[in-house]
Amino acid sequence: MTLKTLRIAGLVVGVLFLAGFRLPSLPVPSEAGKAIDIGAKTGQKAVVASRGISDSEEYYVGRAVAALLLSKYPLSQNREATLYVNEVGQAVAQKSTMPRTYRGYHFGILETSDPNAYACPGGIILVTRGLIQKCQNEDELAAVLAHEVGHIANKDGVNSINRARWTEVLTTAGTEAARQYGGGVAGQLLTLFDGAIDDVFKTMVVNGYSRKAEENADRAAVTTLTRAGYNPAALAAILGKMNTQGGGGGFFRSHPLTAERVNAAKMLAREAPAGPKEQVRTKRFQQVRF
Amino acid sequence: MRRSGEFRGPALWFLLFLLAGLAAGLGTGLAETLKVEQPNAQLYESPNFGSRPLGALPSGAEVAVLSRSGDWVQVNYQGKTGWVHKTSVPQTPARGPGLGLPGMLTGGPVQQTKGDEVALAGKGFTPEVEAAYRQKNPGMNYAMVDQVEQFQVNPAQLAAFIREGGLTP
Repeated sequence: MTLKTLRIAGLVVGVLFLAGFRLPSLPVPSEAGKAIDIGAKTGQKAVVASRGISDSEEYYVGRAVAALLLSKYPLSQNREATLYVNEVGQAVAQKSTMPRTYRGYHFGILETSDPNAYACPGGIILVTRGLIQKCQNEDELAAVLAHEVGHIANKDGVNSINRARWTEVLTTAGTEAARQYGGGVAGQLLTLFDGAIDDVFKTMVVNGYSRKAEENADRAAVTTLTRAGYNPAALAAILGKMNTQGGGGGFFRSHPLTAERVNAAKMLAREAPAGPKEQVRTKRFQQVRF
Repeated sequence: MRRSGEFRGPALWFLLFLLAGLAAGLGTGLAETLKVEQPNAQLYESPNFGSRPLGALPSGAEVAVLSRSGDWVQVNYQGKTGWVHKTSVPQTPARGPGLGLPGMLTGGPVQQTKGDEVALAGKGFTPEVEAAYRQKNPGMNYAMVDQVEQFQVNPAQLAAFIREGGLTP
């Protein structure tokens, strides 16, 4: 083949590649390799479209994680407190980098004195009565919720799903696979779903997110609080109340170390004198019976 | 020997044809109509969540784009003009990074329509998978999850809450 022919071929391939991005099913090369491997293993010849988790899939993962948490702790039936937490949560969420999710943000109170908060993928945020009681004012509660919204916006929950497992979900869910296995696919998908929930729950609740993820959520919280009109210094204030003992997931994650996290949060937002409206917020916080 | 021959003849026309196709794709992407994807999407008087809600936009509704301001899109729906947050009428398919680029290239309107949802039935983590999971794990408290999700804050009430607390609308 001449050099000229090669160049023309290269150009044509290049343009076709660009044009190819219009096709929604074009696989991402790095992921496609793995997907095809699994496909080959199961005798499937179809090209499997690789993609990230969709908003609706993230939503179903989040519902299952929430269901697990709600099997462990009862949901508070205190309507007044639930409304208040939802109002603060919505005021914060709409100023985050992800103001809307597939089915929106929803906030619930867990009936336990363990101080903690959990962000389920997709938008369900569960905060314990114990943590609300540790908050001294509305701005500190807003800081907790802004941090959790940060985890959802950063997709920290779904990012803890094992990569190989997700690739297998795509392979199994592929049209060709569905045609090939018929009813068997549902069973396989169920196993994979089960595993994905386990991945998220273990990271989110049992072990906790990485130091980097926590730092990023703290940073997101400070920005969100500022944009929402809350005192951003409230994050350092509530983090300063955390118990230094033990590990585990949730809001009071011990890694990065408490002191470091408080200092980092202080660096992000300087203490400012409480404005008259902050006093209004503190007063309405104190009026709610949690 | 024709050294510049690689840009002449049929190959050049073929390239131009493909580029024109791509450009046409970009052109049609700037469609005036968008589809509402988010359930419970609201039409607001001004481009912020604290402004007066003008009414709900049903999921799947088609809205005509009038202008844009930051994260907000001014639209007309059934003769009513107002603002909707851009995430309610996404321009890129909301299916994760694998599909981000085509949306960016085409700038096309939302692709995850009801039709797509039907097409997606039986794929990935769907309501059917959730149903099977619930059947397998009857101890899971989905009833409480539904309760958390059903709790809604009235937009007018939220706007008042934001105003009263001196927060940013």
